Amino acid sequence: MEAIYKSIIEALIFASDEPIKPIEIIRVVQGIDGDEIEITPEDIDNCVNEINAALENERHSINIVRIADGYIFSTRQEYAKYLGYLSSEKSKRRLSQAALETLAIVAYKQPITKPELESIRGVNSDYTINTLLEKNLIAIAGRSETVGRPILYATTDEFLKYFGLNKISDLPKPREIEEIMQDEDFLEQKRKLLMSAVEEQMEAELEIEGENAPEA
Amino acid sequence: MYKIQLDHFEGPLDLLLFFIKRDEINIYDIPISKITKDFLEYVNLIQTLDLEVAGDFILMASTLMHIKVRLLLPKEVDAKGEEIDPRAELVQRLLEYKKYKEMSEELSFFESAQRKQFWRGNFNEDPKVAPPEYEILLKNVSVYDLAKVFKGIIQQVKKEVFHEIKRMPVSIEEQIDHIMTLLGKFKELHFLSIINEMREKIRIVVTFIALLELVKMGRIGIKESPDFNDFTVYALENGSNLQINN
Repeated sequence: MEAIYKSIIEALIFASDEPIKPIEIIRVVQGIDGDEIEITPEDIDNCVNEINAALENERHSINIVRIADGYIFSTRQEYAKYLGYLSSEKSKRRLSQAALETLAIVAYKQPITKPELESIRGVNSDYTINTLLEKNLIAIAGRSETVGRPILYATTDEFLKYFGLNKISDLPKPREIEEIMQDEDFLEQKRKLLMSAVEEQMEAELEIEGENAPEA
Repeated sequence: MYKIQLDHFEGPLDLLLFFIKRDEINIYDIPISKITKDFLEYVNLIQTLDLEVAGDFILMASTLMHIKVRLLLPKEVDAKGEEIDPRAELVQRLLEYKKYKEMSEELSFFESAQRKQFWRGNFNEDPKVAPPEYEILLKNVSVYDLAKVFKGIIQQVKKEVFHEIKRMPVSIEEQIDHIMTLLGKFKELHFLSIINEMREKIRIVVTFIALLELVKMGRIGIKESPDFNDFTVYALENGSNLQINN
């Protein structure tokens, strides 16, 4: 890839109002300069790294962030205080605990039906699901093949944008139940339980022996 | 007895986790009897406040009581001959829920971080032109999106409003004749007795207008009745005199 494309990529990212996906950048470049131009998503990603390094070097307050499998210019976090004063959009209400819980479950188990979701949360989730649908943080992803063909829900690009993620797999892995079971703490507790069970049994046996013992 | 703060719990599982944390209970060895008691106390409390939420809690209360009963019965054994702990399923659910509750805290962390980043924006003035190729136009559109848009359009379409006008079943002239016929038979009439037989509101209204019309023409007089909710109507000999007696 020719060096000129680094500037073109920078310009495209700067001028895009949504995170621009590498495939769109490739389409633009090849649309203008011809299909024979070789440019890969890896090339673009390397360019972005170079641009970010240069911005960092010159102590600029902006950099390019990777959001929802795309690139967008963003201010650095340390300026949030000042920008928040200027922009009312970011100071709007945060998501409720119910919404976060529901999103966490959808994010990890998608696509998921409402009954599955509700059985994990243990509460009716109609209202929360509707709110998240309205905010476009989740979307209908089809219908399950199970009885009643219930609607399946999945997270959206808007979800990735809201949480500043590039892809779903960027989320930290939840602690697996097996992992919790392997916890030293738990093993200790299990050992104690077993011990007390054994002790009880021994005591019971002793009692029986005591009862059966011939009286002197 | 513990005093439970009426915190906002996300559901019965959340409440159980709260008890487990508060009392430092080993999640694999839950004292069902104690926790059921605490749980029911809380349910009684919220039931008086919010019936709809209470539904999910009552379901859990019955689950807890079911486990309690199973613990009292002779021990159940699975196909391999191993003892079944009636609490196992609940523990599994609690762990599963705990897992996602922890994750919701992670999400909250991401939310906070994201709120500190400001993307290049202020594109509001830019005109959005649809891409020329249909394939790009329909890139991310699913049948559900179409259904959503369709529903929106249907709801936006204004309903045509029709006002139906019915012809009145009676006319003032008819009622004037009716009143005068009655006054031909009786010397005086109570208003209530005139309208007594009438079932439709419009007929009563028209009759009243007819009475006013007759008073104006000077053909009848009106005077107060002993009953204050009524008045008496009588015919006037001299059709030209306007006369209303109190």
